[in-house]
Amino acid sequence: MKKFSIYFFLILFLNTALGADTLSLSFFQNMTDNLFQNRYSEPDQISSFNFYIDKNISGFSFFTEGNYSYLHKNPELAYYLHDIGIDYLKPVNEKTAFYFSLMGQGAFYRSDYEDFNYFSFNFLAAFKTYISQTSIMKSNYILEYKKYKYSLFDFVSHSVFLSFDKFFQTKTTLKSEISWGYKNFLHPYSSEEVIPEDYTEDHHSGRRTYIFVPKIEYEEQGIQIFSIKGLIAQGVGDRIGLRISGMKQWILSGENPFSSVEEFYMVENPSYDSYSWTGYQISSQLTVLVPWDIEFKIGYTMDNKEFHGIESMSLEGDTLDITRKDERGQFEARLEKNFPKFSIFLSYFYIDNQSNDPFFDWQSNLFSVGIELNTFINKKK
Amino acid sequence: MKRRINILSLLIFMVFWSVSFGQKQLHYYNVDKEIKIKGTIQKIIIEPRYKNNSPFLIVILEEKNTRRKFNVEISPVRFFSVDFHKGANLEVVGSIYSKGEKSQNIIARQIRFRGEILVLRDKHGFPAWRGGGMMHKKKRKGNDF
Repeated sequence: MKKFSIYFFLILFLNTALGADTLSLSFFQNMTDNLFQNRYSEPDQISSFNFYIDKNISGFSFFTEGNYSYLHKNPELAYYLHDIGIDYLKPVNEKTAFYFSLMGQGAFYRSDYEDFNYFSFNFLAAFKTYISQTSIMKSNYILEYKKYKYSLFDFVSHSVFLSFDKFFQTKTTLKSEISWGYKNFLHPYSSEEVIPEDYTEDHHSGRRTYIFVPKIEYEEQGIQIFSIKGLIAQGVGDRIGLRISGMKQWILSGENPFSSVEEFYMVENPSYDSYSWTGYQISSQLTVLVPWDIEFKIGYTMDNKEFHGIESMSLEGDTLDITRKDERGQFEARLEKNFPKFSIFLSYFYIDNQSNDPFFDWQSNLFSVGIELNTFINKKK
Repeated sequence: MKRRINILSLLIFMVFWSVSFGQKQLHYYNVDKEIKIKGTIQKIIIEPRYKNNSPFLIVILEEKNTRRKFNVEISPVRFFSVDFHKGANLEVVGSIYSKGEKSQNIIARQIRFRGEILVLRDKHGFPAWRGGGMMHKKKRKGNDF
């Protein structure tokens, strides 16, 4: 109750102090039967509260957003995320505009995951132009710096993205994208080997603790990636849209500096991001506007990832001398209904992850229901 | 008595007329002038509309049956988040705020595009878009993988 009071007063203070234009509040209840996304399923429920406030001044937008998530069976994993930023949209002419934003973010996990606490700085410059009225070119550059409590994860990254699309009168859209990224771990190596404590005990509990054992070799600290993506979208009437996309990614240089990588449900994990793998992804999605203007989306995504520098291990913790490879199939269904003042959401995911590391051979069902409420403080028309 | 009332009515009318004549057409969301149109996108532009606000995404729409043209004011933030193209279908619920010789101007409240509904304003016309952080995609609607 105390935390909710603090949260409430924080929203009230920020809202008043900023003289906000927009206040948006949302609540989501998530249920999963595999919180840690590994062989030893552990169910939990996550209640997530989110607020967003913005204020426009002379074409600039100031925004701040907070999110508190509480895990009912694992309260020591509860966390709070906060963003604060400013952005600006600058048109060059009727068809072209630049967009710039600066954002700071902080993540504060409770004791069990406090190694993941971080402060980050993010700069984004984007460009969009209509080459013709049926063709768009988009490009952006992102600079990100993150400083973690566990300094092994600290990094600076740069990424560049370029896309072209073309719309045809048959309601078909073709899109191609290329992107490049470079992530530099600032100090990822330990001078001496770190032996994870109680490794085997935790190995069979759903959760591996302290598994990000840094490598002791002094190798290349940066990882360079390159990816291409193609998308074809087709509209059928006014109420149906179909989209199929494929993506292939390569690691051009460097490899993961950790001995193991893993992802966690709703926790942004620095060892498992787009820089950690090479492989491909194929995705399809059908969007249908069903009666009462309810949006229904159903999709299936298949991906194949190889984690360079990561060796698969047996359940006993012995190395298998093979590079870890995961094949994942993900089915998802979402419903969204927008009302003038609020929106409601319902979603379901089923994930089947097959890995040559038996610890990461897992299945999961996820269910989420939520409501988002928008209020407009300065009622400017 | 009846004559006095007529003169008074005339005076009130003249005062009202003189005040409103020559005044700029008000640019605001009028719920009484709300219409629903369905058409094909003819042109997409971005231009400043309001003081102290980001430039707006404007879509020029041709209604299917009547071939009437509408300048539809979408919102500032949608230029980067939605990719409209010439020839695509768009359904708009919005308020007419002025009429030109060749086209009418509309402030959009809700649009339907490629099977998705975007709510831009509430039923009274107050903006429903988030101003900042449009490219960060930080909305945390459940889980994404």
